[in-house]
Amino acid sequence: MKPNPNDGASGPGTIVGVNVALSGTLKDQNDIAVYGMVDGQVESERSVTVGQSAQVKGPVKGQLITVAGTVHGEITAHEKLEVLETGKIYGSIETKDLIVRSGALLSGKVTMGTDEPAAETPEPEFKEEKIAEAAEPADEPASETKAETTPELTPDEE
Amino acid sequence: MYYYVLESPSTRGVRQNYQRLRDILTHLGIAGEIVTSSPARTPAEQAYIGTTKGYSTIVAVGGDAHINEVAMATIGRAVLGIIPIDASRQVTELIGASDMKSAAEALKHRRISLQDTVLIDPDLPLFLNAAIQTSKLAKVSLVIDNKVRAHAYFNELVVTRSLEVKIRSTYVAEKRKILGLFSVGGEQIASESSFHGKQIKIITDPPMPLMVGENKMADSPLTLRLVPESLKVITKRGTVLE
Repeated sequence: MKPNPNDGASGPGTIVGVNVALSGTLKDQNDIAVYGMVDGQVESERSVTVGQSAQVKGPVKGQLITVAGTVHGEITAHEKLEVLETGKIYGSIETKDLIVRSGALLSGKVTMGTDEPAAETPEPEFKEEKIAEAAEPADEPASETKAETTPELTPDEE
Repeated sequence: MYYYVLESPSTRGVRQNYQRLRDILTHLGIAGEIVTSSPARTPAEQAYIGTTKGYSTIVAVGGDAHINEVAMATIGRAVLGIIPIDASRQVTELIGASDMKSAAEALKHRRISLQDTVLIDPDLPLFLNAAIQTSKLAKVSLVIDNKVRAHAYFNELVVTRSLEVKIRSTYVAEKRKILGLFSVGGEQIASESSFHGKQIKIITDPPMPLMVGENKMADSPLTLRLVPESLKVITKRGTVLE
């Protein structure tokens, strides 16, 4: 396996050939390539290739996912998703990096980027200004405004 | 220390090879007890006798089916050495030696690697690749780790010692006409699939034999279980030095 297939990511991957119909959860630490029909989840810790002749009914998860066939289900690509000219996706997509070739079909919600919470956290100086601006028109005591915002301050400021 | 189990010689050339081998082993200082398998004493029986005599290394000398049989009796009892004669590439790649002399030299250095084996239910070990072959497309169903079911048509199904199942098929798509004008199809479509797991059930329709070389191991349906790192084998580039 050759290194043992069961001990990590160094073994062989899984290939579902063009004349294979498979049902169940197909999970592999290594690459998965699908050219036939899969009814169920497809999950790899590396790459997943959905070939032109492939039809997948179920969620697909992997680091790098390439779709040239048809997927009916949610796709989660932790690194990159590439949808080739012949690719058809009916389901939501979650990925950091998305490439869609001309001719491909996407039908579903696309979510990209995972750094949203960090980007929303404002700089402490900016926040203090906002607090001051907000406090003035309301004519409220400064201590009350501070108390409301305290949980959002960094430990240094506290 | 070394107990050599020779495959029953099929030709005069093989007999001559055996004589050459004796000379090489003597020259390297690793000559031991040499026995030859026969219909009366199978390779597995001969190997088992070697282990009961206390030999720590049983050396299979011959082709794939012979080596597999010797390995079956060696698992868990002794270290397996291999000197390939008319063996397949999987054997020469495994031990890292393609001729008698370099294989004998590898035996002397005793670098040992742990190899997976497969147990065919109920208790038949498998060391080398086994195959089910059919000229006409046949149906096969696999149940992998009780989680995945796969159905396919195949011409060849190969089981490796790491419990990888490879399914190959080739068929010609039927020709048909569109609007009575254009012909489509007629091309050859090849398919290759590969699965692996810790337990795989194989059901073929109709039932077919699983073969190692010319030796029949069992008939389908088969339940195969992976036995990781269960056989010590002397190889040229082993990881463990005994």
